[in-house]
Amino acid sequence: MVEVLMPRAARLGMHADELNDELDLLRSGLLDSLGFVDLVVELEKRCGREVDLMAAMDRPGGSTMGNLVELFTHGR
Amino acid sequence: MNVSHLSTDPVAVFDRAVATWPGRPALDIDGTVFTYAQLSALADEVAQRCEASLPAGSRVALVARRDVATYAAVLGILRSSRSYVPLHADHPPERWQQAMDLAQVAGIVDDISATGVQRTALTSPEQLQGEAYVMFTSGSTSGPKGVPVLRRHVAAYLAHALAHFGITEHDRCTQLFSLAFDLSVHDLFVTWGSGACLCVTRDAAGLRTAAHVQRAGITTWFSVPSLIDLMARMRALPANGWPTIRASFFCGEALRWDQLQRWAKAAPNSRITNLYGPTEATIAILEHPVIPPYATTGIVPIGRPFPGSRALLRGAGREGELCLGGPQVTEGYLGDTSAQANFLRAADGSVTYATGDRVRYDASGVYHFLGRMDDQVKVQGHRVEPVEVDHALQPLLAERISVTVAVERDGVMRLVTFIDGPADEVALLHALRQRLPSYMVPEAIRVLDALPLNPNGKVDKRALNELAQHG
Repeated sequence: MVEVLMPRAARLGMHADELNDELDLLRSGLLDSLGFVDLVVELEKRCGREVDLMAAMDRPGGSTMGNLVELFTHGR
Repeated sequence: MNVSHLSTDPVAVFDRAVATWPGRPALDIDGTVFTYAQLSALADEVAQRCEASLPAGSRVALVARRDVATYAAVLGILRSSRSYVPLHADHPPERWQQAMDLAQVAGIVDDISATGVQRTALTSPEQLQGEAYVMFTSGSTSGPKGVPVLRRHVAAYLAHALAHFGITEHDRCTQLFSLAFDLSVHDLFVTWGSGACLCVTRDAAGLRTAAHVQRAGITTWFSVPSLIDLMARMRALPANGWPTIRASFFCGEALRWDQLQRWAKAAPNSRITNLYGPTEATIAILEHPVIPPYATTGIVPIGRPFPGSRALLRGAGREGELCLGGPQVTEGYLGDTSAQANFLRAADGSVTYATGDRVRYDASGVYHFLGRMDDQVKVQGHRVEPVEVDHALQPLLAERISVTVAVERDGVMRLVTFIDGPADEVALLHALRQRLPSYMVPEAIRVLDALPLNPNGKVDKRALNELAQHG
């Protein structure tokens, strides 16, 4: 995920160590909502499986890095 | 609802609903419900605090949060005959300061339960006459432009909307627009004027919208069209996925036929209305009820003006700049800005607003949106003057100049800024994030040895667009 986000993060002056579990990708201004959904779709392609996007987005803190990692590692 | 003989002042319509349906739900925030009587009582508390601590007829800022305190604050400020100035919760403080200074607010409401109303600045002594709110849009000269909207302008909108949009006390309506965006005024007062329930989710980015609509049992939808794209990308628009929605309204940016087709399949029981209107003409002023068969490409017409409002063309033939007149058209911007020239005043005192939108008028009297006369674009539904980005950059650039252009890639409008000479792009982007709303921060800053010029010696924006288009 860091690999996908790093070019955009670098343009915004963010360092790699700022891309941690707590980072909210929307609130930080790193992505807008369309960009966020595109990121999930990109991760789906790379992981070779689809996630329930509606349910995933509905979780509290749904747009944090940690939530996305959880979603793709444990499917929830 | 037959409102032809009743006042459609926003406070009057809410008070009438309180009297008629005190125990019905007025506000549902992620499942926490407030009845009309409860919301009215909270609004009264704000109104009393305003009366006690702020000059009569003054402007009161509020941070546009998605909580009951903020909705009560809107109602309370209006009930106390003051005007509210919403500040976008996600905007940087510098942007708030600009708006508050321009509007000369007398106080700010934030978390009324803890802090109450606080005076932050002294307002001008002059009392505002019947002003409802001030909304800010992107400006082409320096900083945001403030549009003061009077209660009579809102009343004119509500007179049409409450009589013709078919919302009833049984409806459950979306509230997707930020309170700092004037389309939220439709959400609040068309819903409450009908005795319906305003259903709010705290998620402002739209990602939880699909789950919220399902959970809240939404029957009436109102959003920018780009939310259709977001929901489609989230695979949240299956055929007949939204059977409870019976009325859908779109506004804030051009509605494409392919978006409409997607929506119509997902919400097959819904009538669909495309609304059009700049903030300067109060919420929306043209409407196009969309009836099958639908086209497949291009843009849905913006329709005809509401009864009593006027649409005029500036230009030759059937194409030109759309100008608007009538009871919803506001009087001008706050402060002394060159943009005041967009408000044309006739000898009889009537005002016509030149929108800057290029339209075509067809033989059946329907208007079609063609584009802009200037560089203004819509980014995530927000009006953006790319030159405002350059104005924000100017103090940081010494002798160099910047030109920001907007390009559409993958269906998304993006801003790219070009600078003529060496610059620390990262530092500049970081500085812009402190000054501008996130949707106005360019996707990239690109440094060129020199900006391309056209044969007239001016910066060749077409060439820059090409460069931006190709990454």
